Amino acid sequence: MMYQSHNEEETKQIARRFASTLKGGETVFLKGDLGTGKTTFVRGVAEYFGFGGVVRSPTFTIMNRYSIDQGPIKVILHMDFYRIEDPSEFTALALEEELGRPDTIAFIEWPEKDTQQFVFATYQIHFSCTGSIHEIEY
Amino acid sequence: MRVLSIETSCDETSLAVVREDESSFIVEKNIVSSQATIHAQYGGVVPEVAAREHAAWIFPLMKELDIPHDGKGIDAIAVTAGPGLVPALRIGVELGKVLAWSWNKPLVAVNHLEGHLYSVWLETDRPPLFPSLCLLVSGGHTELILMKDHGKYQLLGMTRDDAAGEAFDKVAKLLGLPYPGGPQISKLALEGDPAGIDFPRPMLDSQNLDFSFSGLKTAVRLSVEHHASLHQGGLDPVDRATIAASFQQAVVDTLVHKTLKAVQQTHPKSVILSGGVSANRLLRETLREKLSVVDPNITFHSPAIVFTGDNAAMIGAAGMMKAKRKEFVDPLTLHADPNMNLISL
Repeated sequence: MMYQSHNEEETKQIARRFASTLKGGETVFLKGDLGTGKTTFVRGVAEYFGFGGVVRSPTFTIMNRYSIDQGPIKVILHMDFYRIEDPSEFTALALEEELGRPDTIAFIEWPEKDTQQFVFATYQIHFSCTGSIHEIEY
Repeated sequence: MRVLSIETSCDETSLAVVREDESSFIVEKNIVSSQATIHAQYGGVVPEVAAREHAAWIFPLMKELDIPHDGKGIDAIAVTAGPGLVPALRIGVELGKVLAWSWNKPLVAVNHLEGHLYSVWLETDRPPLFPSLCLLVSGGHTELILMKDHGKYQLLGMTRDDAAGEAFDKVAKLLGLPYPGGPQISKLALEGDPAGIDFPRPMLDSQNLDFSFSGLKTAVRLSVEHHASLHQGGLDPVDRATIAASFQQAVVDTLVHKTLKAVQQTHPKSVILSGGVSANRLLRETLREKLSVVDPNITFHSPAIVFTGDNAAMIGAAGMMKAKRKEFVDPLTLHADPNMNLISL
């Protein structure tokens, strides 16, 4: 489906609808250029699951962890591979300990940086932007 | 008191030995992986070690630190326990626990942000007086913290999306500049007009002390696309410099405005500017200047450039203050905490 968004609130609305389909254990790739709404989308997902804290860009931190307590999903992992330069860096992230757990859903920005396909996606969401109109497709 | 300190919360692996000297902290040694030359060799080959490969860095750095194998002369061990990346933090935390347990020395857990606050206590004879207002700006952080006393913090505001340092790096990418973007933008900005483009100063009029830099990043993207479309060969060099200068000015204006607003609300005796972005000259000079106009009695403190980025020396300074308050942790039960809260300390 292709959705159009004109502002942050609409992007979060689309994210909340997507979040309602998640059961736990999913890994979601968020693909799209700078400023196309990837982090805003995760903010919408976190809101859907009742997370009350601040959802910030994980570009520097690489992985943010939001604890939630609604149903079987307890953790939202918000990741960003933007700063990963070499496939060898994935080993140090110990992602195998985190991804695919039934109580965890993971969102990964800039998954293209994983050139050796170390991580597999359950869903891929594409973000693009012309002027101020954002398109979100999954 | 001499403290061995360990920092592995994000990109850098760092070890330091810090000693107390009256009101200041003397850095005997401070080794940071991105600047270190590893002399230890494996099978005659010096390995290529990437950022965040703390497990590969930490023992060669330990060897480089060259302290007695029984820990003689070390009075306490300080380690960053959070916030940060769990697999990264864990390497430092486990080293700290093992050393503390086997040497039978006290262990303190330091919050990474607390370390950045204490970076201005390193190698100075003029430490800040309390209460002190701190603007902490780096790739991952943009926070305003009121330090009421040693170990007493109040979070006043923070970024709601991107950190200031991240905005610098992403705008650098939009302008085709290499990583890390901060110094590159500043250099290019020298050739441009800081008033050339009126970029948004996000949340300037909001009553709270929070920041937002994501919208500014989007405004720069739209501006780059607009200017590039005017010329067939892409972005004109003059436009590029104007965008860099105007963007930097927008970030500096926002950071300084909110800091001064916090000064008016909290009446501090001193202001601290720390973190990686505190190396930005325009930010340092503008904040120092504006602060002296608002109230010349408020002192301004910023770390030496070598202590602006992540380093273990600042963890040693914060850790020593905790050790003096006897805020020790059990080496057998300490865990890395990725969301460690500064206020809960």
